[in-house]
Amino acid sequence: MAATANKNSPMHLLDPQVLASLSNLELVAKAAVEGFVIGLHRSPKFGFSQEFVEYRAYGEGDDPRYIDWNVYARTDKTYIKRFLGETNSHLMILLDSSASMGYGSQGLSKLQVGKFLAASLAYMSSRQHDAVGVMVFADEVLSYRPPASRSGSLQGVIHALDKAEAKQGTAIHKPMTRFQENIRRRGLVAVISDFYCDTQELLDNVRPLAVQGQDVILFHLLDPAELAPKLLTSTLFEDMETGHAVEVSPAFMQTEYRDRINAHISAIRKAASGMNCDHVLINTSEPLDKPLHSYLTFREKRG
Amino acid sequence: MLIAPLFLLGLLGLGLPWWLHRLETQTTEREQFATTRFLEASKKRIHVQRKLRFLVLMALRMAFLAFLVFAFARPILFKQPEVAAVGDDNVHHVILVDTSFSMHEGSKLAEARTRAQQILDNLKSGDSASLYAASASVTTLAEQTSTNEISKLLPALSADNGRLDLGAMVAALNGLLKNSKAAVVLHVVSDYQLTSQAVRFADMIPDVVNGRAVTLDIQQLGSKTPANTMVESVLVENRSSVIASIRTFNGEIAGKDKQVSLSINGSKTQTQDVPASSNGLSTVTFKDVVFAEGYNKVDLLLTPADSLAEDDVRHTVFDNSPPATVLLLTADVKSLGVTYISAALSTAPRGYVVEAKSINDFDARVLQRYPWLIIEDLGAVNASLALALTDYVHGGGAVFAALGPHSSSVGTVPVLNLPLTNPAPAKDQTATLISQIDTSHPALNDSSGWNNINVRALKVVPTSDDHVLIAQNRDTPVLLERNIGAGHFVLFTSSLDNTASDLPVKPVFVSFMAEMAQYLSNEKLLVKEQVADSYLQLTQSGGGSGQVEDPNGKKLLSLQGTTQAQEVLLNLTGYYRVFTTAGEVLVAVNPDRRESDLTPITAKTLQDWQASVTGAASAGVVATDTALVAKPSKDANEIEIWRFFLLGMATLVLAESLLGNRCLNFKTGTF
Repeated sequence: MAATANKNSPMHLLDPQVLASLSNLELVAKAAVEGFVIGLHRSPKFGFSQEFVEYRAYGEGDDPRYIDWNVYARTDKTYIKRFLGETNSHLMILLDSSASMGYGSQGLSKLQVGKFLAASLAYMSSRQHDAVGVMVFADEVLSYRPPASRSGSLQGVIHALDKAEAKQGTAIHKPMTRFQENIRRRGLVAVISDFYCDTQELLDNVRPLAVQGQDVILFHLLDPAELAPKLLTSTLFEDMETGHAVEVSPAFMQTEYRDRINAHISAIRKAASGMNCDHVLINTSEPLDKPLHSYLTFREKRG
Repeated sequence: MLIAPLFLLGLLGLGLPWWLHRLETQTTEREQFATTRFLEASKKRIHVQRKLRFLVLMALRMAFLAFLVFAFARPILFKQPEVAAVGDDNVHHVILVDTSFSMHEGSKLAEARTRAQQILDNLKSGDSASLYAASASVTTLAEQTSTNEISKLLPALSADNGRLDLGAMVAALNGLLKNSKAAVVLHVVSDYQLTSQAVRFADMIPDVVNGRAVTLDIQQLGSKTPANTMVESVLVENRSSVIASIRTFNGEIAGKDKQVSLSINGSKTQTQDVPASSNGLSTVTFKDVVFAEGYNKVDLLLTPADSLAEDDVRHTVFDNSPPATVLLLTADVKSLGVTYISAALSTAPRGYVVEAKSINDFDARVLQRYPWLIIEDLGAVNASLALALTDYVHGGGAVFAALGPHSSSVGTVPVLNLPLTNPAPAKDQTATLISQIDTSHPALNDSSGWNNINVRALKVVPTSDDHVLIAQNRDTPVLLERNIGAGHFVLFTSSLDNTASDLPVKPVFVSFMAEMAQYLSNEKLLVKEQVADSYLQLTQSGGGSGQVEDPNGKKLLSLQGTTQAQEVLLNLTGYYRVFTTAGEVLVAVNPDRRESDLTPITAKTLQDWQASVTGAASAGVVATDTALVAKPSKDANEIEIWRFFLLGMATLVLAESLLGNRCLNFKTGTF
């Protein structure tokens, strides 16, 4: 357990175990983001507030809620308000709900942590008036909501996330293909997965997005037992996706396995770097501030 | 039994370990992991071993429950009888012919041969037959051979002098027929005397081995019960009178019907009429009989002879030897102890003359003249005499010694070299009373009268070589014996006058001294009158064994046998001569008096016997037909096997504990 935040500190709201105790995903997202925002030092670079900056002409796709009706009354033109930190972008979240995401050695599965993260990202983006969409996939696309900044779209995204269940295998090319077919506009793409796939396959599917001009960030979720297993005796492990069983020895898990998983992570990171994507490795036992911070940094760079 | 509701319920219990093991397998056998793409199989298939171990454990537990269920069900195995009963040709006919002494009577033996032949003639082809002679022991004459061979043996059958006991006969048959797997028909050809019946009726029931059928065929000889007269006992009184008891079984003695003659050493001396008696018992006294010195053969012969003439003569041995001289070594020949000892020994049945000599004046070189001697005060014996006494006993002599007045001043018992101390003052009166007596010792057969004897014994600590015969308590022996070489040394740890012990003035002293004299002189060991077919114990005939001659003058032992033989069978009636180290001894042998009583067993008893053995047929039926062979009972073919299940359960519990203990060491593989 990596939850080190003080209970009285707002940061403790970022602890996945604490978030898991909340009743619904929207509340989880609010708690996580509020905790994250309150914990941030005030910085011009990471300004994240409702402070007005300028007016911009209303365009198709903008949320009518932000139309300044006073200006419309005076000028007979529709303008919308822009605030500090707002970049008027959109965020597409791709959440892996394959069976392997159901693994969790400490009570909380990777999928649950992925949901928390996705909801938090969606909520944070929504506060910045970004359009948010979601695609839940396994070996096929299980649910899809295109990016939208309209009122209620956040609830729709959270609802789609909430329904996700860990099952089936992983086929990353399907969501990517579907994404390319439906999204033409340039924006942010957050892929949340454990990336138990072939690195080359990942490259082949993510590279077109990068070429298309999407800014991709890969949230690589791994359980602490996957990163640093501590096995006491020889154990028969069953693959959650394939059902294939392998008996492994403690010595192997202490040495060879760690080398292999680290090599895999490095390969993913290297591939991401080659495509100008960000790669964020997330230990599911740690608080969510690190991925959220990474996202803001990422968004700032792209913004 | 196997469809009983409780049994089925018990079988359902077998599912319990299976269900528990399934739970165990599901929770601990496999662990889910996100992906196995980075895993590599261990070379050591531990989970397979573990799985096997769990399966074996489950099997053990299920087997345990199954055994428990079966044990409570008390299952029975039905064993196929090895021998088919009715109608089976494989029948073993066992013919037992009584050849005891009573078979001398009339033509019983000839009739027995005829009956045996009839049995053989009625055998079916395929049946086997054996022939045994039954008397004091069962003798095999022919075993599972052809009828022709057995027929040839029948004329040679003859009666001996032994006594038949039906219980002993059946016991012997059990051993002889143990290996016979066929159904057995016992043909017992006998006069069935009442006296041959076993004391316990159950002793007459043969063992049934392997469910083998045993059928009893009673072949009773003699249709009527003849009267028989015999000389029952002979008593020599005052070395001049012979009293003979004459008994008639199944009748009475009429006046002048019978005469009885007395022969001494083969010479007929007197003849008298047997007086009339209504109860069958008469007494005849021969007076003024002159006996030769030493052993005399005393024969009493009844005339005229009856149908069982062999018991009309009675052989008796009378020892007319003069009283033996016993050497008594004493410190004072006029002491009270000498008087008491002399008086006691003179009244012994054998009669002894005590030759008292002073220890101080005694020449040890004459010790060898005496087979045994008495020392009244062992403390007065000097060192040279002690050495001579040791040699004397070692060479086969016997000594009875007391610790007289001089003994309290010496620290060691001479000859035996035992430490000797004066006893501490008695705390109470009971401390000087006798508490333990070894009544198995020949000199202490009569232990009555010892309880109120007060003895102030000197304290002697016995060694492992000493046998304590009388003791006051564990620390104070009163009488002890040590075997030295071929002889004995008996020590009385008090004095034989009445200063330290009141034994000499009590009646038990007389019998004790008489028995001790007989024991030390070896006279008591040899029984001079025995019944036929008994054994003469040669080791009791006076030291080592010697040659034995039967009544016909035939030497029974080889030269080697005279030193090694332990016993000799006395199968003839008459006088056996036994040559011992102490001289020639005569042993008279007569038939067992019970063989003279020809009263038969009642028909009811025979009927019960046959019913008990065969479970079928009635007495008197000649059951030579194989169809009469009893069918083995159902119970005999049932084997209860629940005990084996209990045994198996014990083994399973042990195995389960060992294996289960290993499984407890299992550490879960979770992170």
